[in-house]
Amino acid sequence: MQQLEIHNFLIRYFQANECAITENGPGYLTVQLSIELDKELMNRPFYWHYLEKTGGIANPMKLTFITNTQIAPEKIKGETIHFGSPRLHQIFQTTKKLASYIRLYENHLNGNQQTPLMPWLCMNVKISYQCDRKRDIYKSIGLQLINGQMVEDFDELLQNVQLTPKIPDYSFTLSPLVKPKSGLSRIENYLKAIIEGDDHSWAEDARKRWEQDLKLLDHFYEDIEEENESYETEKKALRDQYEPKINISFINGGLFYLTDQAV
Amino acid sequence: MTVQIEFDSSWQDEFLHRIENDGPWGNWELFKLAVGVEKNLIIPEFEGLQAPKHLPNLTPLPHQLETAKQVIENMNGKAILADEVGLGKTIEAGLILKEYMIRGLVKKVLILVPASLVTQWSYELNSKFFIPAVSQRKSYVWEQCDVVVSSIDTAKRDPHRDIIYKQDYDLIIIDEAHKLKNNKTKNYEFVQNLKKKFCLLLTATPIQNRIEEIFNLVSLLKPGHLGSETTFFDKYKRDARSLNDNEHLKELVNKVMIRNRRADTGIEWTKRQVETIAIEFTPEERKLYDAITDLKSEGDWVQTSAFSVMTLQREACSSRESVFYTLKNMLQKKENPTKVYEDQIQSLITKVEAVQTNSKAEKTLELIQKINDKVIIFTEYRATQMYLQWYLKQHGISSVPFRGGFKRGKKDWMRELFQKHAQVLIATEAGGEGINLQFCNHIINFDLPWNPMKLEQRIGRIHRLGQEKDVMIYNFAIKNTVEEHILKLLYEKIELFEKVIGDLDDILTKLDFGNIEDHLIDIFGQSCSEGEMRIKMENLTSMIDLAKDMQKEDSHAAAGNS
Repeated sequence: MQQLEIHNFLIRYFQANECAITENGPGYLTVQLSIELDKELMNRPFYWHYLEKTGGIANPMKLTFITNTQIAPEKIKGETIHFGSPRLHQIFQTTKKLASYIRLYENHLNGNQQTPLMPWLCMNVKISYQCDRKRDIYKSIGLQLINGQMVEDFDELLQNVQLTPKIPDYSFTLSPLVKPKSGLSRIENYLKAIIEGDDHSWAEDARKRWEQDLKLLDHFYEDIEEENESYETEKKALRDQYEPKINISFINGGLFYLTDQAV
Repeated sequence: MTVQIEFDSSWQDEFLHRIENDGPWGNWELFKLAVGVEKNLIIPEFEGLQAPKHLPNLTPLPHQLETAKQVIENMNGKAILADEVGLGKTIEAGLILKEYMIRGLVKKVLILVPASLVTQWSYELNSKFFIPAVSQRKSYVWEQCDVVVSSIDTAKRDPHRDIIYKQDYDLIIIDEAHKLKNNKTKNYEFVQNLKKKFCLLLTATPIQNRIEEIFNLVSLLKPGHLGSETTFFDKYKRDARSLNDNEHLKELVNKVMIRNRRADTGIEWTKRQVETIAIEFTPEERKLYDAITDLKSEGDWVQTSAFSVMTLQREACSSRESVFYTLKNMLQKKENPTKVYEDQIQSLITKVEAVQTNSKAEKTLELIQKINDKVIIFTEYRATQMYLQWYLKQHGISSVPFRGGFKRGKKDWMRELFQKHAQVLIATEAGGEGINLQFCNHIINFDLPWNPMKLEQRIGRIHRLGQEKDVMIYNFAIKNTVEEHILKLLYEKIELFEKVIGDLDDILTKLDFGNIEDHLIDIFGQSCSEGEMRIKMENLTSMIDLAKDMQKEDSHAAAGNS
């Protein structure tokens, strides 16, 4: 992320969380936190606990972020934010936490014509290939819950659709034939099939490295007859170091009700 | 190819629950932002370093980046980092740690460093790498914090030891790992029993070690890499001095060790300027020194302890206080001292009392006033250290003492005091290690250590990355004493002061005759005549020359190969 991207990200983030941006200057911005976001970001549970007990007036904090030290005016004091800063990663975490589950309807322009909306199940996931090294793959999958159609890059497809949290007038949703629970396992199986078809020489190589080190280890301890605790520890350490694993973790997902034209 | 696939189901359960309860549902804008964030954080390749992107305030040097890449991609995260002093091993370790944390391969980390460096490590990891490292001060820290910095001496003790063994560490970093060369020690055993998934051992001086020590260090990191103990010592002589004798072994070791040299880094280093300052004794000081020297040819008690005479001679070159302290000790510790013995000591004490000034201290004062900037004074003796502090104070110069025996907090505090308030830091030998003082560029060697490595460590405190000025080194030597001999022979001959440490490592390795200090004690302590002393010194000198020549040839050969 470039500094400008970070700046724009922060503005979108705070606006989406209904915090007022009180200043938005070159290389910096000041934001008035909402009570919810203060609790989320500022890590002062005692203050909030005290307020709740005494019934005092809540005073959420105001924060200034400097997103570009080169162009921000010198007199501005605030937290410098860059791609590696802990604060930004905290904000990333809350973004994911606050929007893990969603349900939206297509805001179609069909006027007063009765319009059916198809149920779609969307899952955005991260697949990680892990041994002593690691790489990730991002996947966005959409599953139509009536005919079972599966679509990749579903998130990009949604970019072009007008969505709203309330069902629009003159619209009705079709009941899913595929239950969400079995929809989830269909997507799971689909992802596993994709993964199985992938090149896994990385895992073979890791196992080779593992075997090699294990051989060395056995050789090192072969003179020692009795049960040896550190031998067992080392052996376990090698497993932790090299054993290839694939993790599928969720970013977010939900239900989308879309017109036939949308997909 | 079967690889186990883990599918995180916690999300599903919550999702189905929300469908049943009709929400609550998230905000569309945040949903899109979360996807954007994740796409930014995803690392699509096994290779390459992500850490620099996360560290805008740090500009790692090319050799540091290369080292980090090597360790992760070719050494599978287990390595000995053996750069020469001052090339930034901490930065390399920080880069590797950061990379693993970004990639989510490492979460729980144990960092074991000398007590005096605990605070500095935590500070650097926090400020330079944004890694929330915590100095261990309370025992709950082991369990509650992910990245803990501690001294090995604390960690190996109960109750910490058992708690640490229960933690599941992903990465263990050990600074000054050359202290673990002996596999019979408690520290070695403690580290050996730690589970080491990824592991970095940091050391500046592995090469000069005996082969046995290399074996112990490598076996700690990667047991079996050099074979089992029996097979290894069948193949290589236990006492062999140098790795260089065996190409195959050298190659094996290089698979788990990275050693960058100053000369290879292409960085311009500030210069070392050395000035030797010869000082004349006052007549009283001379009398004391000569009286001590005369002991050598006298009395029965002296023969049994040439070492004491040597020590006294060296102390007489430092301060009358240090002589007095030793004399007093000799008197107290001797069981049933003879009358002659007592008289001799008593007469020396009278001579000590006759000395009213300290020529070196006067010179020091003059020099400090001339420099008019921060100065570090090194002395071997605590009595001298205390005297100097008192003496400088008499002349309105503020100073802080520094000793190896100080507790960690006190060391940090003294360093801080020196940086912010005092003009002078007076350190004893033990204080030479494990403190970084690159904000200062003047060193006075009030007396000289006989072990060249110790001297290099003194200079290394200030001549390191981050030092922006030329480093000024002032060596004091009293004329016509053992001190002047040492300076001439050892330091001027090896050109030690101008050299950087890597060369010295090599030279000392090639010198296949053990500890230089022992040789000096033999030359100055056991020689019966001036002539004998001269011959022995010449022998030593020519051996050093030989080693230097060998080293030159080596570097020619290396240059030819590359």
